[in-house]
Amino acid sequence: MLIRAFLSHYQRHPFQLAALVLMIVLATMLWTGVTVLTDQARSSLAQNEETVAARAHIVRTDSQPVGVEDFVRLRKTGVCVAPWLEVKRPAPEGQVIGVDPMSMACFGRSAPIQDAASLDGTPFMDIGDALRVSQEGYDSQLYLIAPRDDIELPQGYALRAFSLAPPTGELADSFLLNLDALSLLVLLITGLLIRSVYRLGLVQREASFELLYRFGVLPRQIRQLLVLELVVLTAVGVPPGLWLGASLAEALGTGFGQALGSLFDLTLYAESFGSLPWRAAVVMVALVLTVCLLEWVFPQPRQPAMVSAYARLGGGALLLAGALGVVLATELVWVFAGTALVFAGVGLLTPPLLAAVEERRSVRSGATASVADPLRRWRARELSVMFRQLALPVVALQFSIAAVLAVHALVTTFESTFEQWLGQRLAADFYIEVPQGGDSATAARRLNALEGLGTWHLVAHGKAQVRPEEAGTGADPLTADLMALTPITDLVSDWALLSSAERSWRELASGAVMVNEQLARRHDVEVGSPLELTIAGTRMRTNVVGIYADYGRPVAEVLLHADTLPAAFTPRSESFSVNKGELSRDVIHDRLADTWGAPDLQVRDNASIRELASQIFDQTFLLTRAISALTLVLAAVALLIMIWVFFTTRVWYFRLLGVWGLQGHQVRRQLRLLSVRLTLTITAAALPLGIWLTWVLVNRINPLAFGWSLPMDLYPVFWLELGLMAGAAGLLVAHLMRRQLERDANGERP
Amino acid sequence: MAVVVGLSALGAGLSGCDDPSGESGFAGLAESGGQAEASAFLQPKPGTRLVFPDDWGPHPQHRIEWWYFTANLTTPEGRPLGVQWTQFRQALQPRPAAKAPPSPATWPMDSAWMAHGAISFNGDHWFEEKVARGDIGHAGASADPFRVWLDDWELAPISESDAWHLQVQGDNWDYDLTLSNTGNITAHGDGGFSAKSSSGEGSMYFSLAHLNVTGTVTVAGRTQAVSGKGWFDREWSSQFLKAGQQGWDWFGLHLEDGQKLMAFRLREGDSTFSSGSWVNADGDVESLQEDDLTLSPTAWKESARGRVPVVWQLRVSGRGVDLRVKASPGEHWNAGLVSYWESPVAVSGSHDGKGYMELTGYADQAP
Repeated sequence: MLIRAFLSHYQRHPFQLAALVLMIVLATMLWTGVTVLTDQARSSLAQNEETVAARAHIVRTDSQPVGVEDFVRLRKTGVCVAPWLEVKRPAPEGQVIGVDPMSMACFGRSAPIQDAASLDGTPFMDIGDALRVSQEGYDSQLYLIAPRDDIELPQGYALRAFSLAPPTGELADSFLLNLDALSLLVLLITGLLIRSVYRLGLVQREASFELLYRFGVLPRQIRQLLVLELVVLTAVGVPPGLWLGASLAEALGTGFGQALGSLFDLTLYAESFGSLPWRAAVVMVALVLTVCLLEWVFPQPRQPAMVSAYARLGGGALLLAGALGVVLATELVWVFAGTALVFAGVGLLTPPLLAAVEERRSVRSGATASVADPLRRWRARELSVMFRQLALPVVALQFSIAAVLAVHALVTTFESTFEQWLGQRLAADFYIEVPQGGDSATAARRLNALEGLGTWHLVAHGKAQVRPEEAGTGADPLTADLMALTPITDLVSDWALLSSAERSWRELASGAVMVNEQLARRHDVEVGSPLELTIAGTRMRTNVVGIYADYGRPVAEVLLHADTLPAAFTPRSESFSVNKGELSRDVIHDRLADTWGAPDLQVRDNASIRELASQIFDQTFLLTRAISALTLVLAAVALLIMIWVFFTTRVWYFRLLGVWGLQGHQVRRQLRLLSVRLTLTITAAALPLGIWLTWVLVNRINPLAFGWSLPMDLYPVFWLELGLMAGAAGLLVAHLMRRQLERDANGERP
Repeated sequence: MAVVVGLSALGAGLSGCDDPSGESGFAGLAESGGQAEASAFLQPKPGTRLVFPDDWGPHPQHRIEWWYFTANLTTPEGRPLGVQWTQFRQALQPRPAAKAPPSPATWPMDSAWMAHGAISFNGDHWFEEKVARGDIGHAGASADPFRVWLDDWELAPISESDAWHLQVQGDNWDYDLTLSNTGNITAHGDGGFSAKSSSGEGSMYFSLAHLNVTGTVTVAGRTQAVSGKGWFDREWSSQFLKAGQQGWDWFGLHLEDGQKLMAFRLREGDSTFSSGSWVNADGDVESLQEDDLTLSPTAWKESARGRVPVVWQLRVSGRGVDLRVKASPGEHWNAGLVSYWESPVAVSGSHDGKGYMELTGYADQAP
């Protein structure tokens, strides 16, 4: 009897019970999906990293090509080495790489492939099969790769740097850090969504609880029943949410990926979802119980604290303190703390501010009586009431839309940055390493004499000691990588520099230097800063004329013109980057091979390297797009459910419109205007927060964590898409409300 | 007998090539009259005889074979130290004797090799695994001169001597041993054909059970001179474990009176198939049949990878042999592509002695 009376509210409002369960299901689904996809993106990135990670390859010091007999000789002396056969098959099939997984066993975790399933020809296949592909008439090149560049070799062999693409470790780490931060935000949003729906039900049930109390049921018994009810709801809602989230993530990460794969020749490193992610289940059960039971620890008054004057004051203070913290923080933890304060501040400020704006519109409508539209005034007042009473869900929705904005900006920014950076670093058609003992100066002269050749430059690599002059003579110099260029051509002069002086490349040719962002940020070096460089024992003073982005490595780097180098400098390695112009690859190869007496000179095709690296990393971006899509879809569904639930509490008021004499279609129009304005206002309120969150991710978290920032790009078209989605959700809610109004002719007065 | 651990997994899994053996079980024997007989691989049968020196080298017509060595050694302080080395060959394609091997330049994948090296000392166990594709040259074996190698691990004759040199380097451990044979070749079963089930499947199997071993072992940061007794096995076949057979328990024991005992049992559900050889001090061999042998576990150990029988009772009827065989303290899992137990043992009871025990099919079983 007691339980029946306790649950009578849900008998009268079954939709509220269904909405609460549905919200638990959806919240669990969102969190599970994001968790699974984030884990998958992490695993995919790790595999991508291993695939393109810098390693070493072994060459013969007599400049002869390496072959299977060299592989055998090296293995029998205990050297960990594996064959790597690149077969330059043109599109659409594309390049393949032949490997021997067995000899890669000694690479351990740094092996480019970890299982036989990867030998599917995209791009890896067994070396025997790859050799057969090459025999169809494609150029191929055998490398003997080693896991590290510090291994001992028998006489007659030397180690050279080897990688598929510029190193991307830091870019990947940064991406994962940001993804983790967004996952936490998703957890916060799901908590807010659940709490708001639960609280809505509780407020409406207060009267029935009072009645029970009058019949002798103790408050303690009511609380026990509420706990029991919550446990049952959690048990009912979490498992399907868990299953749906894992299935959706699988569909997005695998099915969606495979669909795209068939269209764009991409495949995902999809993991098996053999078991449900129980970690996500534990987190969700804890979250649901915590946010709902918080109601008793910190009961909220009917008039939410979030709209009181104190809340506004406190919200403003939190926002200011948080923003200052984020801007001034020198450690990552304070950026996160500041971000949390800003979110808390925004959460406290948004409802009263929106309510105040609508209130003012209402007053203004009333004041200008000649043009007064009582319905406009009614709508403004109705919205004002909603923003006050529905503070929690409004904030939850604002946060979720902000998170969607940030995810989208993050993924798009990373993708474009990666593509642009790859293009910058692999601008030339070919990359040719000067063989051991090869004379680069003679080769440069002979390249100059080649008619029809495109632009080219020679890069000498080495080390330099760097001391910013502002650090004082007592400061320890810093060891930086050195890159010396000659000549300066459009291969580098088109680089997008982070900051630069006037005619920076001309200045560089005259003895100035450029530094990478890592060096600039960590040592407060700016354009115009004087630097003291020590190269091969020779000390020189110069100044910085440009700062360039360098996302792959943590080390400092200095770029200068080769003419600036002291005579004593001996490069660790040298390479040519060459645009073929009107000549064929073979002509260039033969000219250089002849110069150096190295018939098997290795000419690396930058386009195929770039294509391969892009192909491999596109797999990861595909996953992150899937995360973004999941968040967006679920935010939209949540938005729909929430507003529908809230509007049901206002049915009685909407019915008054009919009492005032409005026709049915006029009532429906008012409902449409009201709901669309509500959803659009929340979306508009989420925009600044989303933009700010994106800024924090790319401009505050990255520089503190990794020493470099990403470009901050905005995507207004996506804002428009979100706005359209919000408008559509508003229209849908209005449609549902219309049905409810028609069905429930005697709307209950709240 | 020794192990044939996961070579099917090695071949089919790592190479991505088709394994003609299919899923016929773990390193064992196909069912009688099954696909192995119908395949192009050569299958040993009763009556097949050993041929020397050819049988020291590889058998490309057979699917699987291995070279196996264990030694019960002693350090200068008198502490026991166990050493194991095994090299396996798994053929993915049979190759007739008359056919030349494929050119290494084609990176062929007709066979795969795997080597295991392990040391057991003071309750600790060190293990390393190496794999290689066959016919390239960095792994292989030859009959005359007898040599087996994979990368820089090698068993090879010492010039102008009958002794062999075994060199194995692991991660922070290695051993460098000289093996001197003082006895005859022990042909197991029917002149070298060793039955592995009552329905007639089997393998060719012979041993050198009288090896004197000296050399150095580096482990735990210390290089020590060692000496002791060794046991060498050669075995090849084309049939894997019969479907339903879960693994085997194998013992190679040096008894103090100079006699040797090799015994094994293959497990299939509640039933077993046992066989063995008794080698007296003069080197005479007596084949032991199922009725002659009793192998019973008497104590089990809950280990990190599963529940394993670590104390055994071995009885040989008609000889008054009743042995208690106990594994060395510690866990002795060779945790490679497939995990199996390989430990030195101490022998007591009717005879004292020492030896090695190999247990397969116990890893990751619920206790």
